[in-house]
Amino acid sequence: MSASFVIAVPAKGRLQENAESFFARAGLELVKPRGARDYRGTVADLHGIEVAYLSASEIVDLLAQGAVHLGLTGEDLVREKIANADAHVAFIDALGFGHANVVVAVPQAWIDVLNMADLDDVATAFRLKHERKMRVATKYVNLTRNFFSAHGITDYRIVESAGATEGAPAAGTAELVVDITTTGSTLTANALKVIEDGVILRSQANLVAARRAHWNAAARDCARIVLDRIAAQNRARAFREVRARFAGCDDALLGEAKRRFGVETPFGGPTSSGMITLHCPPQQVHALASLLRDNGAENVAVAKLDYVFSRTNPLFAKLEAAITPPAA
Amino acid sequence: MTTAGTIAKSGAPDPRADALLAAFERSGYTCVAPSILQPAEPFLDLSGEDIRKRMYLTADPQGRELCLRPDLTIPVSRDYLASSAAGTAQGFCYLGPVFRYRDDGPGEFLQAGIESFGRADTAAADAEMLALGLEATAHYGLATPDIRIGDVALFSALVSALDLAPAWKRRLIKDFNHKSSLAHDLDRLTITPSRAGSEYQGVLAALERSDPKAAHALVTDLLSIAGITAVGGRSVGEIADRFLEQAALGAQTSLPKEMRALIERFLAISGDPDEAAAELRAFARDAKVALDAALDLFESRTGFLAARGVDVSRIRFSTAFGRGLDYYTGYVFELHDPSARVMGQLVAGGRYDGLLTRLGSTRSIPAVGFAVWIERLASLGARP
Repeated sequence: MSASFVIAVPAKGRLQENAESFFARAGLELVKPRGARDYRGTVADLHGIEVAYLSASEIVDLLAQGAVHLGLTGEDLVREKIANADAHVAFIDALGFGHANVVVAVPQAWIDVLNMADLDDVATAFRLKHERKMRVATKYVNLTRNFFSAHGITDYRIVESAGATEGAPAAGTAELVVDITTTGSTLTANALKVIEDGVILRSQANLVAARRAHWNAAARDCARIVLDRIAAQNRARAFREVRARFAGCDDALLGEAKRRFGVETPFGGPTSSGMITLHCPPQQVHALASLLRDNGAENVAVAKLDYVFSRTNPLFAKLEAAITPPAA
Repeated sequence: MTTAGTIAKSGAPDPRADALLAAFERSGYTCVAPSILQPAEPFLDLSGEDIRKRMYLTADPQGRELCLRPDLTIPVSRDYLASSAAGTAQGFCYLGPVFRYRDDGPGEFLQAGIESFGRADTAAADAEMLALGLEATAHYGLATPDIRIGDVALFSALVSALDLAPAWKRRLIKDFNHKSSLAHDLDRLTITPSRAGSEYQGVLAALERSDPKAAHALVTDLLSIAGITAVGGRSVGEIADRFLEQAALGAQTSLPKEMRALIERFLAISGDPDEAAAELRAFARDAKVALDAALDLFESRTGFLAARGVDVSRIRFSTAFGRGLDYYTGYVFELHDPSARVMGQLVAGGRYDGLLTRLGSTRSIPAVGFAVWIERLASLGARP
């Protein structure tokens, strides 16, 4: 590997598409110089960065080992596969796609089971009656064990399931499941229901940094550039640009706009002629436009932003904190 | 580190360990060496899923889960059940490596121990285990370790004598081995159960006042109308039973404070076995709960201990003492270094009368035994 900085991204499926468009939005075009079937790529116009296309679970393994610097993968897999995950990796940014909840689901017929305390009791009653333990089908062995242990449940057995976990109770290979769900419709179709306090993890795709990767100066520089572009895109997406010019634009009015709508003034206060540029959360744009016009603005122009580059880079700051060992 | 560099692993255990094993054999126990590679199932089933993270697991080509044995109690028990001697009184001793992942030490370490099956003289067998455990520490120059004992059967007897809903009895017994949960349960016993806000509250309240048989038939019928038979291994009848049990529990939201106070008073009893027995007799009299059978056994055991030359006044008994393993059913004990040079128990064991049934025996076979942590004992001597 000649590159000093490696980003691991999913090699297939919906997550790959989402990942590529996420990077593209941030101005990071992932390219495969040797063709679409290649599992090694680069970022167009950036040197020294290698993109490794891997399966989601390989990404987690390599992050844990520190064999890649950054990886894009689901929080569920990270927490399942890496014991004490926060000591090995740092979650730099939640990406807003790949949502999935890891939940405890039981047959709908279990009308006596509403919460984990019920499940605890049923588990013990089940063992006493059947002289065997209730079986939980899941691919999330560690998440399940930790969650059940936190709820004091001991009378259960885990049955590892590679796929179609939700079918296990009907097939008679388990009594209940721990599985991922987005809408819950697959669970419902299999006559299962999620227990009230049975959400183990609300997961989504994350940009994850390996604390133990080789973070030399070159790798840090690459990370700074990549995270700068992602942060600029994050900020651009979080705001609309609002421009106006009117004499009544004073500190008191700006104070009110900041307070009521979360507006920011990226270039400071109004010019002597009352020209002002504001950044406003998208859902507050209309209310802000009304406020400005009520106070004398003739026209208010609103535009989408492509990038907002700031001197501070919150994502890189997070990374630096994660890879710098705390002072003794 | 507790591991002395001078001790070789499984190939050549240290001479004192060999001498200890020979002493066990002289006491009438047959030396056995179960296979190191074991099916994982019985360990996960009997010790709980929590042990999975400490086990070295693998699979054979057929996909069966195998493990390096994390203890010897289950392997010795399985070999005994598979032998022609199953069901008869037999005693076994062993010395060999066990495998458990640990943060603070090697995953392979030596254990010696004894398993005694099928003896009807319960109190004498219990006492003999502690006496042999003391012999083990004496082999390593520690004649007077701290002796801690408990008796799970006393707590079980108390709970079954109390006027409590079945759900609470189940939970208390289960949680006895998990001390933080038990304290939590005692808190919950006096507060409104979480069910109070449930969507079925009205139905449960209505059913609670109705004839139990009719209510059961109604719930069973309703589930059948919905086209539900056995889903997820629980029968409709089972679901209905517990649904109605919840109704009964719902009415018990204002459980008398006396009940909790009683359990707490019981769990506070400790001392040497003679003091504790006297206190427990007084407690049973006051609380009007029948603990006679369990207490008779307790006192008889103390008598056997004294007869074996154990200084009973040095034993620290506590009603709250359990060993964190579900399969103990009665007497449990641990021996510790009084000057705390070594963390953790040096010798530990107890009675597990239910284990052989859960391993597949068709009849109930009483069992008691203990294990010795060889490296811990050896490191005592290695220190000044």
